[in-house]
Amino acid sequence: MDLTSFVQSLLNGLSIGSVYAIFALGYTLVFSILGIINFAHAAVFTLGAYFTYALVGGAVGFNGLLANKALPFGLPFALALILGSVLAGLVAVIIEVLAFRPLRAKRADPLLTLVSSLGVAILITNLIQYLVGAEPYSFPSNTYEGLPPAINFGTPNSPIPIRSAQVVIFGVSVVILVILTFIINYTQFGKALRAVAEDATTASLLGINTDFYILLAFFLSGFLGGVAGTLVGSSVTIAGPYFGISFGLKGLAVIVLGGLGSIPGAVAGGLVIGLAESFLPAELSSYRDAVAFAVLFIVLLIRPRGLLGRTQIQKV
Amino acid sequence: MATFFNTYGFLIVSMLLAALLALSLYLPLMAGQLSLASPGFYALGGYIAAVLSTRVFVTQPGGLFPVPLVLLEMLIGGLASGVLAIIVGVPALRLRGIYLALATIAFIEIVQVLALNLEITGGAVGIFGIPQPFKTQIEYIWIAAPLLLIVALFVYRLERTRVGRAFIAIREDELAADAMGVNPTTNKVLAFTMGAIVAGTVGALGAHFLNTWNARQGTFDASIGYLAFVLIGGSWTFLGPVLGGMALTALPEVLRSMSDNGALPSWLGEFMKDGRFIIYGFLLVLGTVFLPQGFVSPALFERRSKRKEGKEVPPASPAQRGQGLGVS
Repeated sequence: MDLTSFVQSLLNGLSIGSVYAIFALGYTLVFSILGIINFAHAAVFTLGAYFTYALVGGAVGFNGLLANKALPFGLPFALALILGSVLAGLVAVIIEVLAFRPLRAKRADPLLTLVSSLGVAILITNLIQYLVGAEPYSFPSNTYEGLPPAINFGTPNSPIPIRSAQVVIFGVSVVILVILTFIINYTQFGKALRAVAEDATTASLLGINTDFYILLAFFLSGFLGGVAGTLVGSSVTIAGPYFGISFGLKGLAVIVLGGLGSIPGAVAGGLVIGLAESFLPAELSSYRDAVAFAVLFIVLLIRPRGLLGRTQIQKV
Repeated sequence: MATFFNTYGFLIVSMLLAALLALSLYLPLMAGQLSLASPGFYALGGYIAAVLSTRVFVTQPGGLFPVPLVLLEMLIGGLASGVLAIIVGVPALRLRGIYLALATIAFIEIVQVLALNLEITGGAVGIFGIPQPFKTQIEYIWIAAPLLLIVALFVYRLERTRVGRAFIAIREDELAADAMGVNPTTNKVLAFTMGAIVAGTVGALGAHFLNTWNARQGTFDASIGYLAFVLIGGSWTFLGPVLGGMALTALPEVLRSMSDNGALPSWLGEFMKDGRFIIYGFLLVLGTVFLPQGFVSPALFERRSKRKEGKEVPPASPAQRGQGLGVS
């Protein structure tokens, strides 16, 4: 492997890995507080991509109830990204209120909550299909205003071109990760959130409004999902209503690899899987989608708590 | 009657196969193991039947494919799935609850990628033109109905034997069962393998029934569908998965024909037709919130028997019902 393709693989791996990381953090935030995996996160990811697409002024295709409609304005990409992700966060809040809270009130089995979240995922995915059709949507080619299609990371004589989309993905993801780490570790908000995750009952006895912080965790989770969906959708294409589901399954591999409920673990897991995928030899590229799951299977068998997870003690 | 069977033949056999697949997921669940691996074994059984019937047991074109060979393929598909289940199950079943579910999701995804890339499975196109043993689709009922009867009877009897009670003991409390001398690993692998054998057998029949077989048969979506069959139907007795599988398979068709017949207003009919999976997802959420033990629940039986004695009892409290599956 020569230097150019090595650097390209490295940067590709880092950029896709960082999207995996922010997407997986959405799972982690909810899991660390409620101890459940929110399968609807994958659908929120898809929804975020569609929201941003609509906000930059993209038109709906020929199928679905909203055929040929478009918003009368088009926002700049950065603004649309933030607004679309906020909308995705609000959807996650609605999901919490309608599909999670009633089950929590009944102290239902975690497995039932998982099924309920799957129901939400099916509902949202098919609602998207009903409204805007099943065809793929591509963001306009001038989405990242002013950036050339590729940026040269080498010298003029030995160029190492990297697609601008990858650079944008990596940049945005790193910024989001830094802000999120700051919020969780160094603010009052984050401290309360961690207290609820540690022990919800004790936290509520100490005067923390647990329901509010659960809502906040869902909002942040949906926001992260929306950002990830927009980044993937804008760099490649929104491949139809189901494109979140397969990405969502890889997100599960990421959080298990890193350790369920661990925030640094989700970042590490995302980067490991992103790099593993991009360094896979070209002749095996059709097996790329299996890499994440092979890693997941092996990790579960050898070290079920993941790279950075805590050991669970079985109490009688 | 004949037109009824011609119109709904496909649906009726699909309902029986769905009930069987729901039972294949119910078997590991009996031992408290949430496994989503059934579609993987279903796909394997189907590929075995498809390859055998198109490449090995070549019959003259035009004629019907012999039924005994279909039965033989079902046997091979079931056995192969059982062997694979033991190989996968022994290491994977050390995991509990959500970790096992994730490991089985990884398993079906790997099976799917292999099916898409191997030459023998026909890649993305799959295998088509699988020979038919019958002239019409409704005739598959001669294999599907007895198979469902045998499997349902087996599960019904299993619930009342030593092995079945061991499964239920593990579901209720694995550590306590272990302390009482029930070997959790052996019994969990046994339950997982039984489910896989059922799924593989059904897959072999399904390949003939559907005429083509490709990687879309064994997806994550499919496993969520089967899980819905079991949980909406009820995971407390074998009747739940059977009825759940049949009802949820028939539901979209019923909604569709209701809108075609004008029994519903046309705008509502349109929505019922195009948006039936939206309703399906909505039912899953409603079902888990309001009927956490499914339609066939202990509370249903309790109220029935109490009512016979002439006493009116209030419905079980949410705390009593809310415990759900006992999987954690």
